[in-house]
Amino acid sequence: MTDQIQSSIVIERSYAADREALWALWTTKDGFESWWGPEGFRADVREIEAQPDGALHYAMVADAPDMVAAMKQMGQPTSTECKGRFSEFRPYDRLVLTQIIDFLPGVQPYDSTIEVDFIPAAEGKVRMIVTLHQMHDAKMTQMQRMGFTSQLTKLDKRFGWTG
Amino acid sequence: MDIDVFDALADPTRRRVVAALRHGERQVNDLVAAVGIHQSGVSRHLRILSEAGFVTMRPDGQRRLYSLAPGPFREIDEWLAQYRALWEKRLDRFGAALEARQAQQDQARSEEE
Repeated sequence: MTDQIQSSIVIERSYAADREALWALWTTKDGFESWWGPEGFRADVREIEAQPDGALHYAMVADAPDMVAAMKQMGQPTSTECKGRFSEFRPYDRLVLTQIIDFLPGVQPYDSTIEVDFIPAAEGKVRMIVTLHQMHDAKMTQMQRMGFTSQLTKLDKRFGWTG
Repeated sequence: MDIDVFDALADPTRRRVVAALRHGERQVNDLVAAVGIHQSGVSRHLRILSEAGFVTMRPDGQRRLYSLAPGPFREIDEWLAQYRALWEKRLDRFGAALEARQAQQDQARSEEE
């Protein structure tokens, strides 16, 4: 593992809703498609198995005209298949989504893990804590030097939605 | 030689050197004890960390004192912040989707009544 670095990011939000509603946004086709994005993209869920070790397979499709044009200009496909699974599935409590990132040019496939904890809080609110873990291949730094990453970041895509 | 910050930290021994420097200035000998490898190895890793900007050295009489420099850490922070920013936007959409869903349910409920 000498050529990889793990990074983690924790983001927390609080919502005035019940945990079932939040859970549905992560684990149903309609729910997931309604927000996953990112900007300029839509997620087409091909398969979603709401159960422990269940599959989550979706396509990220560029659907804003400027995003389609930008992807073409960069020689990138306008649609990318993404496969993952719910490696932990404890309804209304905790969810872990593990995705295989195998579509970045020049980068060895690696796992990206998203942990989501739903914690009841005061006044009927729910705290949602999202923890992102990623293994970064040393090769990715070469792409950074080439400006690949910054381009992607500007477009709010690919790297962003890999979590 | 141009050493990337991530390449510099990809080595576990160098991460131990960085960890040992968190408590302040150290001489090579102190680092040898903290990191548990030979002095030549520590010196080599210190050189690589210096080239990547993680470590600076100041002479103090006969002693050479090594300490951490903030630059590359800021760089890593900024890099991670890009991911954070993307997720903040994503969770904004999550919140909006949640509200839309609740509004829909409220409407359905009031139509039932």
